Amino acid sequence: MLLGIDVGGTHTDAVLVGAEGLLAWAKAKTNRTDLLSSIREVLGRIVPEAGAGRISRLNLSTTLSTNAIVEGLVEPVGIFVASGPGIDPLAYSIGEHYRVIPGCTDHRGRITSHLDLAAAREHAGACRRAGVSVYACVGKFSPRNTDFEETLKEVVHPQADFVTLGHEFSGQLGFGRRVHTAAFNAAVWRVFNRFADAVQRCAVGLGMSARVNILKADGGTMPLSMSRMFPVESILSGPAASVMGIMAVCDIQEDSVILDIGGTTTDIALFADGAPLTSPEGAVISGRPTLVRALKTRSIGIGGDSAISVVDGQVRVGPRRLGPAMCEGGQTPTLTDALNVLGAADLGDTVASRRGLGELAAKHNTDGPTLAQDAALAAVTSIRAAVIDLTRSVNDRPVYTIYELLEGKRVTPKRVYVMGGPARAMSGLLAEVFPEEVFVPESYAVANAIGAALSRPTLSAELFADTQRGRMLIPGLDVEESVGGDYKLEQAEADAARHLRGYLEHLRIPDPDTLVETVEAQSFNMVEDDMLVGRSIRVKCQIRPGVLQGYRKAVGCRC
Amino acid sequence: MLKARNSLGVVFFPAFDWAISPTHPERQERLLYTQDQLREEGLFDVAGIREYKPDLARVPDVDLAHFTFPDVEHVVTSSHLISAGGAMRAARLVMEREAERAFALVRPPGHHAMSVVHGTRGFCTINIEAVMVEYLRERYGVRRIAIVDTDCHHGDGTQDIYWHDPDVLFISMHQDGRTIYPGTGFPYELGGPTAMGATCNIPLLPGTGDQGFLHMLDHVIMPLLERFKPEIVINSAGQDNHFSDPITNMAFSAQGYAELTRRLGAQIAVLEGGYSIQGALPYVNLGICLAMAGVDTSNVREPDFDPERVKQEKRITEYTESLADQLLEYFTSPPALPKHGRVEGEWFVRDKEIHYDTDSIFERQLEKVRMCGECGGTVVIESRAGSDPVCLAVRIPVGACPECAKKGHEVFELGQRSRNYRRAMLVDRPGKSVKRVLI
Ligand SMILES: [Zn+2]
Ligand SMILES: [Zn+2]
Repeated sequence: MLLGIDVGGTHTDAVLVGAEGLLAWAKAKTNRTDLLSSIREVLGRIVPEAGAGRISRLNLSTTLSTNAIVEGLVEPVGIFVASGPGIDPLAYSIGEHYRVIPGCTDHRGRITSHLDLAAAREHAGACRRAGVSVYACVGKFSPRNTDFEETLKEVVHPQADFVTLGHEFSGQLGFGRRVHTAAFNAAVWRVFNRFADAVQRCAVGLGMSARVNILKADGGTMPLSMSRMFPVESILSGPAASVMGIMAVCDIQEDSVILDIGGTTTDIALFADGAPLTSPEGAVISGRPTLVRALKTRSIGIGGDSAISVVDGQVRVGPRRLGPAMCEGGQTPTLTDALNVLGAADLGDTVASRRGLGELAAKHNTDGPTLAQDAALAAVTSIRAAVIDLTRSVNDRPVYTIYELLEGKRVTPKRVYVMGGPARAMSGLLAEVFPEEVFVPESYAVANAIGAALSRPTLSAELFADTQRGRMLIPGLDVEESVGGDYKLEQAEADAARHLRGYLEHLRIPDPDTLVETVEAQSFNMVEDDMLVGRSIRVKCQIRPGVLQGYRKAVGCRC
Repeated sequence: MLKARNSLGVVFFPAFDWAISPTHPERQERLLYTQDQLREEGLFDVAGIREYKPDLARVPDVDLAHFTFPDVEHVVTSSHLISAGGAMRAARLVMEREAERAFALVRPPGHHAMSVVHGTRGFCTINIEAVMVEYLRERYGVRRIAIVDTDCHHGDGTQDIYWHDPDVLFISMHQDGRTIYPGTGFPYELGGPTAMGATCNIPLLPGTGDQGFLHMLDHVIMPLLERFKPEIVINSAGQDNHFSDPITNMAFSAQGYAELTRRLGAQIAVLEGGYSIQGALPYVNLGICLAMAGVDTSNVREPDFDPERVKQEKRITEYTESLADQLLEYFTSPPALPKHGRVEGEWFVRDKEIHYDTDSIFERQLEKVRMCGECGGTVVIESRAGSDPVCLAVRIPVGACPECAKKGHEVFELGQRSRNYRRAMLVDRPGKSVKRVLI
């Protein structure tokens, strides 16, 4: 049996899934200052029901890292950056212990000026005196040559509790993103590891011997052991759990839109031919772009708790949240109150909802039901506008070959799947503005936790080879090998896939559904003085996000 | 986080599946390291800088800029249509105010492609700037346009296309034609009789560095732009003036390019040449993008940059300064008629010989323009490529007077009846029609 827990902003949901379907579920209010207490609460209700020994896997999505970063509750990080020429590296500065160390590696991984070790030692000394004990070392073009980062690590290692290196996250280029990713990773390392310890103790305390996995922003999982080194990978796993949940309960085959309508926001995701789209660069957190692989989602400030306002005769919903809905004791009418007035929902004190909308309506020479209708329409219209915008931006994404440009596939959604608290209440209104078919799955309220339970591991590997230099690297997997001048694209593809599988085995990830797919494979002739001197080869392969097929059948619904 | 002062759209299209031949300087690798550099720098993470994919130019778009023989489909491949479409996309971004500025970072280039096209010359088949300029006029009604060509080679194709057009100011700054392909671009080339002074050539000595380029920008280009008052400024941003370029002899640096871009302030830039694909393009392209977006460029430089290397000799500085003075004089008091050509009745006639080096085609032309006092004048070209039969091309220009329009149709009709030509093409801009005839 699989246990899935999704720690959300307002609720912590847990489900237990067996071969025969959804066996149990629990919901608790999230205690934002002590996430573990919420986890303990839902576990305490579900585990005894199932019997601790029969749970083979616990998948957990947590907002811990995200909250810690967004709220600034992280520890100071000593950051070493080897940048060389380009955009001013101070543009990516984070915190007070950020230092640019002279030295430069170029786009082919050739060192064009040596690392200034004296400057590195000096910065290490300053950090030690300031009591800093976690570090991030990042070099420009480090996925093409990891030397500078390794050297910097040697400098600070003796005084560090933890050192994270930029190239360990991804072979993808993006210096600023690499700086942010590594800095965040070190910043949340200690708080995440404490949490991981507590989760493990709690599971053991309940008599469980299940393997524990943490959800990632790309909708996949990673073993708890791995998450201890890469805690930043757990950011934004909430929206990912929702998307995986829809995948688990609905049999999505076509281009589709997913709407997860929550209390304060609506998250939008897209599927192409039944597969969720990932954002090509990486997630953005706290306004800073990172290399953390993520599903392509867009969040807009419209949810059940969004306040209703009237500005210049125009009815608006959100983006502000001014406390809970009036039916829940709040002071300002919200979208949920409007749904109550329209009879689409029946939540809490509906009299309070009617009173609130009536009072606001009176100020603007209208009546409660009309205002509620206008507010609901404004909400669904904004959601539809955001969906159109996201679809357009996906279809407008750059391509680099003539073939892709002329043959390019466009995403044209045929269906809209809706989940989250207000999903059912809003489905009728959404159906009015969306020409596509609108579906609300039966388990819409806990689909996110089902998604967490059924998600399987994801991984990606970017290989870079330069046959003139005789080198092949897969930075994310820490692979570096010599290759001959006749190394070919086909060998590179095979090598990338082999190393990715090997890494899965090393992590002892048993997954019969595992599919390694090559998503990019390019080989460029390198010419000097009219002579072919070698090839620059780039291969990217991945295990794409997906749900465990066996269990999928059990939780699936007709939708 | 960084923010652009001017929003910038970059149309990046490296055409990773197209090349003239595997080792040709104009091959896939050309924009590979630029792509690596832009990605690694995080250019598209700067707030206000976005990447776009190109539009696809269609045959009618090409027809507005070129007389293509035997026809567009025979001469042009998808890669050319996409490259021109990339320039069109850049124009669309700016005109529709999606971005304040746009850079089409595309290949293959186009500035050696002339009015008549039989094949490929100087790696260029169709003139992507010209296709874009005609798109700006046709779709957005832009009238006065300035093109500043900063490629190391004379922009002879663009010059040829706009030779008779008083509404397009074409300025080319390049390595002296006596020392490099295509061997043209001298100060006396000032435009046709109806557009004298709408073409300006600035030949520079080999070895000219940042100082010389910027001197010409400040003392010739900016004053001419000031006088011409274009509605839009386009930069044909060739990058082969770089000190490391393998096929040229200049000493321009990435810092120099960035500074030139900043001072010029073009709304649209289109990549032309540039064949130092490892040592220059990644840094120069980055510098241009940042400069166009109004982001600090002071840390952009080549890894092996040495200021001594781009410092120009005293004799070059002296030459540059005296040339600048001479050029300005040319434009304040130009001669009455072009140096080459002759008057035949109401027509001004010149003979041209054009060599398509890439495709080994030799073309002879007889070009006539009607010396009309009211408009740019109808243009008639008789063209013969190699031993092929003669082709006839007639262009009634944008803003043609009724007399010139009438004349254009007459010449085209007469040409078809005369049996002197195998193919004939008429581009009637005011009448919005293009005719191709196989006789
Ligand atoms: Zn050139
Ligand atoms: Zn006229």
